[in-house]
Amino acid sequence: MAETMTIHLKVWRQAGPDADGRLVDYTLDSVNSDMSFLEMLDVLNEDLIKQGEDPVEFDNDCREGICGSCGLIVGGIAHGPMKATAICQLHMRHYNDGDTIVVEPFRAEAFPIVKDLVVDRAAFDRIIAAGGYVSVSTGGAPDANAIPVPKDDADEAFDFAACIGCGACVASCPNSSASLFTGAKIAHLADMPQGKVERKRRVVRMVDQMEAEGFGDCSNHGECEAVCPKGISIDAIAKMRREYVRALFG
Amino acid sequence: MANKDNNGKPGLWSAMTSPIGKKLLTGLTGLGWVLFVILHMAGNLGYFGAGEAYNEYTEALMSLGPLLYLIETLLVAGLVIHVVAGVNIYLGKRRARKQGYEQYESAGRPSRQSLSSRSMIVTGIVLLVFLVIHINTFKFGPGIAEGYAVTVGGEEIRDLKRLVTEKFQNPLYAFGYTGVMLLLGFHLRHGIWSAFQSLGAMNRRLTPLVYAVGTVLAIGIVLGFLVLPLYIFFAA
Amino acid sequence: MSLDSNIPSGPLHEKWQNYLDRTKLVNPANKRKYTVIVVGTGLAGGSAAASLAELGYNVKAFCIQDSPRRAHSIAAQGGINAAKNYPHDGDTIWRLFYDTVKGGDYRSREANVYRLATISNNIIDQCVAQGVPFAREYGGLLANRSFGGAQVSRTFYARGQTGQQLLLGAYQALERQVDAGKVEMLPRREMLDLVVVDGRARGIITRNLVTGELERHAGDAVLLCTGGYGNAYFLSTNAKNSNVTAAWRCHRRGAYFANPCFTQIHPTCIPVSGHYQSKLTLMSESLRNDGRVWVPQDSSDDRPANQIPEGERDYYLERRYPSFGNLVPRDVASRAAKQVCDAGRGVGATGQAVYLDFADAIGRLGKSTIEERYGNLFEMYERITGENPYEVPMRIYPAVHYTMGGLWVDYDLMSTIPGLFVLGEANFSDHGANRLGASALMQGLADGYFVISATLGNYIASMEDDSLNASDTAFDEPEKAARDRIERLLGVGGSKTVTEYHRELGRIMWDQVGMSRSKDGLEEALSSIRKLREEYWNNVLVPGRKDTLNKNLEFAGRVADFLELGELMAQDALQREESCGAHFREEYQTAEGEALRRDDDFSYVAAWEFSGDLSAPNLHKEELDFEAVELTTRSYK
Ligand SMILES: Cc1cc2nc3c(=O)[nH]c(=O)nc-3n(C[C@H](O)[C@H](O)[C@H](O)COP(=O)(O)OP(=O)(O)OC[C@H]3O[C@@H](n4cnc5c(N)ncnc54)[C@H](O)[C@@H]3O)c2cc1C
Ligand code: HEM
Ligand code: HEM
Ligand code: SF4
Ligand code: F3S
Ligand code: FES
Repeated sequence: MAETMTIHLKVWRQAGPDADGRLVDYTLDSVNSDMSFLEMLDVLNEDLIKQGEDPVEFDNDCREGICGSCGLIVGGIAHGPMKATAICQLHMRHYNDGDTIVVEPFRAEAFPIVKDLVVDRAAFDRIIAAGGYVSVSTGGAPDANAIPVPKDDADEAFDFAACIGCGACVASCPNSSASLFTGAKIAHLADMPQGKVERKRRVVRMVDQMEAEGFGDCSNHGECEAVCPKGISIDAIAKMRREYVRALFG
Repeated sequence: MANKDNNGKPGLWSAMTSPIGKKLLTGLTGLGWVLFVILHMAGNLGYFGAGEAYNEYTEALMSLGPLLYLIETLLVAGLVIHVVAGVNIYLGKRRARKQGYEQYESAGRPSRQSLSSRSMIVTGIVLLVFLVIHINTFKFGPGIAEGYAVTVGGEEIRDLKRLVTEKFQNPLYAFGYTGVMLLLGFHLRHGIWSAFQSLGAMNRRLTPLVYAVGTVLAIGIVLGFLVLPLYIFFAA
Repeated sequence: MSLDSNIPSGPLHEKWQNYLDRTKLVNPANKRKYTVIVVGTGLAGGSAAASLAELGYNVKAFCIQDSPRRAHSIAAQGGINAAKNYPHDGDTIWRLFYDTVKGGDYRSREANVYRLATISNNIIDQCVAQGVPFAREYGGLLANRSFGGAQVSRTFYARGQTGQQLLLGAYQALERQVDAGKVEMLPRREMLDLVVVDGRARGIITRNLVTGELERHAGDAVLLCTGGYGNAYFLSTNAKNSNVTAAWRCHRRGAYFANPCFTQIHPTCIPVSGHYQSKLTLMSESLRNDGRVWVPQDSSDDRPANQIPEGERDYYLERRYPSFGNLVPRDVASRAAKQVCDAGRGVGATGQAVYLDFADAIGRLGKSTIEERYGNLFEMYERITGENPYEVPMRIYPAVHYTMGGLWVDYDLMSTIPGLFVLGEANFSDHGANRLGASALMQGLADGYFVISATLGNYIASMEDDSLNASDTAFDEPEKAARDRIERLLGVGGSKTVTEYHRELGRIMWDQVGMSRSKDGLEEALSSIRKLREEYWNNVLVPGRKDTLNKNLEFAGRVADFLELGELMAQDALQREESCGAHFREEYQTAEGEALRRDDDFSYVAAWEFSGDLSAPNLHKEELDFEAVELTTRSYK
């Protein structure tokens, strides 16, 4: 049953990319336990607007865990405390009356802050542009059933392809590494016969781009997998390394 | 910028300085050192052998001649690469997030983040300092010329056993070593499984197993090393 | 102006081939002289931008989100249809065509739908070649399932994330062209106006959502791929940023808006839990294969579901539609749910929900079978509601899901403004009065990958070569208009927030222009919307500044447009004095309460022209001729 509770928030406020930011305290005294976390922020924003203050900016769109727009550090953890859950899917019933919750943006030099909790994740697009595709122009494709794909391969490819590009892996990684994101795309395509043709060029270019964007290297902390809303395994990273070795020596 | 003309094969240098290459290097060199450390530990346990077994064993090692030089060269080169890559990764990490979080927590399993994974650079640097002192103390320490000698089968060989015994009777050495060995354990607890992951040898099924074996191995290595100084200090 | 749908000559199944045979081509070397503006990077826009760039055009692509990969198409779950007939169960292009026309309750254009069915197979080929991980059989071939009551299995899927995988395929193709320098991708941009020069679409005005700057972009054609307008209802299954602004601005510049009242309401969504509700979540229709829908017989019965004895439950779908039972089409199921809730028999705290009960199925098939079939849906339900559907029945309620209406386009996907093409959910073209499951993805990709490359070429080839610069004075007026609007919104300084107004509009739309409509209700809606719109411009409170990221300001502009569109939707519903597909007029029903279509009078597309006066738009009718199919009445008894 729904109950009402008081929640204390400490929210990172930052007026712009170069402005200084800080945590600001807010208290909401009628948070419904059936609300989603983002709906709670909506309520906060409605209050702020009425008080003549600027609302807290945060990215969101689908609010069902698939578009990858949302992304906050909640209670020190990317996407909050629940496993395999984007922050837009977290509901307030997992908190208790009187809790204090710290809300910060994803932090990494490669993800500069735009405003408040909004960051710029364009680096991810550039990593994909460097090779995260199969080069087939529209029109020339053979019949879809011309190349059988073993079900296990297709299933594994899907596990990696499920990445929503949210950036939580980077945000939670002590090294700010984009290895899980990059590895997931490399692994997805390496698992499919369609992707195998360009596998060498793909891995080398994507890894180069990842480095050029200023992400850190991966020290195998494995934090990324634990926060990934799609539970993507760091097998993707091992696979990316194998692909790289293959490109080098194969 | 991604190299536009790149059609696959990277150059060796650019490959080895890439994010993947750096980890291949730390992993390979790290594992090489793990192998050395295990053998070294086993050799050390020869101290408990009868008579001059320990001194004879080290003498045998010394007489390997060129082979020994080769191994030593590999170790030194490996260490240099390991340290350079490790420090480079650490500096990259520092650059990649200049402003840290006000609050940061690990999400727990399946995360492999731990005190030991976070402190690789610290434990590593301590190990580096240790190695300098350590080799200076023992390898380049007093030998036959300084009177640390025994005669075995009519031949005079270095009495390393005496040197070791004397050093570890000193609490500074005994406890200093104990501390460093514990840090080595930390380095290896994350290091062993991590090296396999860096080499791309892991997958979902293997990871938990290798992680567990790595932890046990790390503890084993620490204990194996520790018996000697602690035995000498307390019992001898 | 008369509406010429430009349908090619010849028998139905040869029209598209005839078109291709005769269409004008653009010299490959000339293509790079042309710039195509693509607004929106969902399935339609992403695939169009990639394909046109591959052909050599210079493409400028825009989207609201921070990355083209996040367009609303990403959320589609169920699947995509194609007439491959891999399962060998008798499917053909004709059948897919026929089902789509029939499903649309005979309010779509035959020639377009036939082309769609023809192209459907190429889409699957293309997506597989891109590496899209569709579900497969153990033999390695593609798996199919049946969807939305079709008698054949023609739906291709990628777990419950088909839209995501298809969009990522298009997105990756797009990024490949970005890397090749053929696409300039401009994310976090909102199109605020269309620039029309000499009667042709030649550019757009966008707002940079980060800096607030207004930007001018010139091109030789503009492709609008901006998705549907379901958010006019405030609560819908659409993503928060889905909007009508781009389409509405084009409408105000002369593009006709067709069938705006055709809105699909999906029966199986998670009900509203409270006032703070920000959007609704869809659950796959497949749940109705095993779940039984019911409400208590007695409206005063407020016992927990499990304590209500069998005899006091009303399995109303099984009762009313004995042969289809819980599997009646979306619109029928939705309307029936509304009727029982209106009669006070709804369940849950708000009374706006019905039960979807799996107890029988669990008893019959075992919990593990149910878990296998619906495990992820049950989990999603529990995540949102905190209730375990293995133990207590789910509560469901219909929600706005898709808009069949949109900008009017001819066979070439060109609107009434030459050079303005409209693709995907933003156009009205293929689904008539009701869309079948798994056909929106098909349409978006057909438009973007295969249709536009031919039809745009045809247009460009006949264009005179007159390059236009964005500094041209033709851009001054639209830019100023956009700036004035923003300043006006910020300047009102009233007392109610944008969300409050949006919610109010949503309530009017849902109550009067929703699942069931009546003359009185629609007339009331017209006057309430007008009043609300007037109040909005005098009392809305938009915080912040125009020269920074300011999502409230973005929403303020979108809600302002919804307030205008809402009125047109009501007007359209009012003029359509029949019940067809998703449009149900209470005055036009059979004695048993079923929809009554009036083919003699309403077999047309209602295309509305902006007249300058929102309350008096001009109606143009495109008569629909059915040569190939025979009009029948649906029956699910
Ligand atoms: C929950 C859900 C499930 C669905 N499941 C299915 C299914 O299983 N099968 C099926 O066939 N269909 C399904 N649909 C319908 C289908 O997903 C959509 O109709 C389709 O994806 C629309 O694609 P689109 O490319 O036309 O538009 P969208 O994907 O909505 O893209 C719109 C694009 O336009 C941009 N844009 C909008 N306005 C502006 C502006 N003013 N300026 C700049 N850019 C702008 C946006 O940023 C975005 O990039 C589902 C829909 C929903 C809501
Ligand atoms: C002497 C100084 C040393 C330093 C400065 C050092 C530093 C480091 C650092 C920083 C890492 C982490 C690399 C990363 O973040 O990805 C690392 C990894 C590792 N170290 Fe060391 N180390 C040293 C010595 C040793 C020794 C003596 C051993 C073995 C006995 C060892 C074994 C390993 C292993 C196995 C790894 C894991 C490699 C990987 O993840 O790929 N290191 N070291
Ligand atoms: C209690 C712990 C240890 C003891 C008692 C010990 C003892 C010794 C001794 C006696 C030598 C001299 C051998 C010779 O000159 O022939 C030596 C050499 C060496 N030790 Fe240790 N050691 C210990 C731990 C370590 C550790 C943890 C490391 C590495 C991380 C290490 C690395 C080395 C190296 C590299 C040499 C030089 C080998 C060579 O070049 O021949 N030792 N050690
Ligand atoms: S790998 Fe996971 S955490 Fe990283 S971007 Fe993809 S979905 Fe987000
Ligand atoms: S947390 Fe970071 S260090 Fe590697 S395993 Fe994940 S990217
Ligand atoms: S808002 Fe789309 S994933 Fe959270």
